[in-house]
Amino acid sequence: MLVPLTSLKKGESGIIASIKANPRGRRRGGWGFHKRLMDMGLTPGTKITVVKSAPFRGPIEVYVRGSRLALGRGMAARIFVEIDK
Amino acid sequence: MKKKKLRIALAGNANVGKSVIFNQLTGLHQHIGNWPGKTVEKAEGTLHFKGYEIDVIDLPGIYSLSTFSLEEIISREYIAFEKPDLVINVVDASVLERNLFFTLQLIELETPMIIALNQIDIAQKKGIKIDHEKLSSILGVPVIPTIAIKGVGIYDLLETTVKMIEKKVATPRQIEYGKEIEEKIEKIASLVRKINLPYPARWTAIKLLEGDKKIEDEVKKADPRILEFAHEMASEIERIHGHSCSTVITSERYEVAGRIAREVQRIQPVIKPSLSQRLHDVTTSRVLGYPIMLCVVLSIFYAIFTFGDYASTCLSDFLYGLEPLFDPILKNYVLKELVWNGVMEGVIAGVTIALPYIVPFYFLLYILEDSGYLSRIAFLMDVAMHKIGLHGKAFIPVMLAYGCNVPACLGCKIMETERERLLAAFVVTLIPCAATTVVVLGLVGKFVGLEWALALYVIDLAIIFMLGRVAFKTLPSEPMELLMEMHEYRMPHLRTVISQTWFRLEEFIKIAFPLIIVSSVTIKAIELSGLFEPLSVLMSTITVGWLGLRREMGIALIFGILRKELTLIMLATILGTTNFDVVLTPLQMIIFSLITMLYIPCIATIAACVKEFGWKKAIFITVFEVSFAIFVGGIAFRILGFLGMP
Repeated sequence: MLVPLTSLKKGESGIIASIKANPRGRRRGGWGFHKRLMDMGLTPGTKITVVKSAPFRGPIEVYVRGSRLALGRGMAARIFVEIDK
Repeated sequence: MKKKKLRIALAGNANVGKSVIFNQLTGLHQHIGNWPGKTVEKAEGTLHFKGYEIDVIDLPGIYSLSTFSLEEIISREYIAFEKPDLVINVVDASVLERNLFFTLQLIELETPMIIALNQIDIAQKKGIKIDHEKLSSILGVPVIPTIAIKGVGIYDLLETTVKMIEKKVATPRQIEYGKEIEEKIEKIASLVRKINLPYPARWTAIKLLEGDKKIEDEVKKADPRILEFAHEMASEIERIHGHSCSTVITSERYEVAGRIAREVQRIQPVIKPSLSQRLHDVTTSRVLGYPIMLCVVLSIFYAIFTFGDYASTCLSDFLYGLEPLFDPILKNYVLKELVWNGVMEGVIAGVTIALPYIVPFYFLLYILEDSGYLSRIAFLMDVAMHKIGLHGKAFIPVMLAYGCNVPACLGCKIMETERERLLAAFVVTLIPCAATTVVVLGLVGKFVGLEWALALYVIDLAIIFMLGRVAFKTLPSEPMELLMEMHEYRMPHLRTVISQTWFRLEEFIKIAFPLIIVSSVTIKAIELSGLFEPLSVLMSTITVGWLGLRREMGIALIFGILRKELTLIMLATILGTTNFDVVLTPLQMIIFSLITMLYIPCIATIAACVKEFGWKKAIFITVFEVSFAIFVGGIAFRILGFLGMP
């Protein structure tokens, strides 16, 4: 099942399937956004675990490739992960 | 004997202990500045070792060598163009995979390099053991295990550096991608070799496949056909893999990094969570996170203001106490006025801000940063900062600004792009600093009522919020969201913190002092030549007509350019009393304070803006804020007057 990362609960994990972005674009969700996620290791096929989320719809903390990242919620909503249900 | 000169560069991810290694290597022989024309810090230092004079450059902490941020461009151009004799890649042993991703890119740049495998103690606490010899044989470069904060491995690192340069060893082994990608890289590279570019051909080919804008432009200038060919190859890869080519290459690079990491590290799961882990859980928890943050931030402010206030009084008492010493030397009245009340007044203004407030501010800030708590604050404050179009990291300059706008302005560097930096600086210059708080409390708080002072703060916050949003909407290009690593908590390295504080102080003195002194003398000269009276008449259309103030208050506002609290001091001098309620109406006091909060950032802040963003933007911010303050002041005067405020 393909769901946005934001719908994962605390402690759940999934495999990154796709990122809703236009790598050739220069606007919101464009090249910079996409490249930045890639460079931080959020590439397709990577296992990602949601550790917790900050209150008031704040950023979420994820565990990916052996390190701990803080990820803005808008960004997380554009990351789609595969979970087995 | 003339010493042979070498140049080495430190490169690596953020928060891997790079600056600690830099400090261990160079001690106090450092120079901190900006890269020419950029808002990116450049730290250089020198050391002497085995008859060599070695220049060390600490490159900014980055995760990749693409063109996403200024730091990345600067680092890769430095390595490609300036060709240092050797690059020391500082690698955090506790997050090996992510760090190796960067290492692989350095290897692609074909620069001679060695690896400092740092923080092996922190890795050990996480149950990670790394076979550094195996890592070295896989990558084909020497790997030196270090614990920088304890100085472990630093000598070894230097020795290997020199040995490697002396041996003139070839560049490290290239890491290969999948077969069909390698083929395409080779095809493009063979074309690139025919044109003359400062970058290695293979690296250029990879960057073309990744769609790197800067490299594309340069190749296009040399031979547009190569670019077309590269695009063809890229779309072929896209067809095979079903992802964009840049994604495919980045994933492959990460795959390689992951494979190497798994090969060299043994992980024994720790039974008890480490102290760092438990601290992380508590400081970012839903329930305790905010109260803890509030306590930390408030106690920092409390400590700084208590200490600052005390130290500031002592210092100014001491410095003003020197006045009689000048009397016998400066017999001429005008000369004495200029030297004492001009130059010395300026020096005192600078000293009493810099030492008591800025030094402890920076010291505590670096402790927070080095320990890792700042990234947790950014995590918690992200939502709030989003409201003004910035992300969590911007909370740090905003917090600083309540103390002093100058370090806050310089601190905007932590934002990723030029756009975020400018936006943050704009917001920061509107925040009332400690000196402004003195004015608001001393005038409105004391004579009109504390609730009015509080109201002013609320109005000010609303204005900052509004302007921030407007600026956020009008500035072009892509807004950034928070994406940051939260590294393990660790003990800050005291010597590094102290030297960072010291160089900050030096920076502040260099930026602010000349301007403070010059403007202080200028204002004194205007006063001595009797121009104040005509000037205040000139300003009276605005001050009296539009703002409803007394004519003399315009002069006090001019002094505020120097230091915000001077508006209050001068007001007392000009009006000849400190019982402001006798000579001023409450409305006048409120408007005066409001203007002080909003108008011109003080001269030192303007200087900091100039340094970071250039004259044009600094003047724009200044002019905008002055006109905006006058505009808002006039409106407030009319509204409050209409509501029956005396």
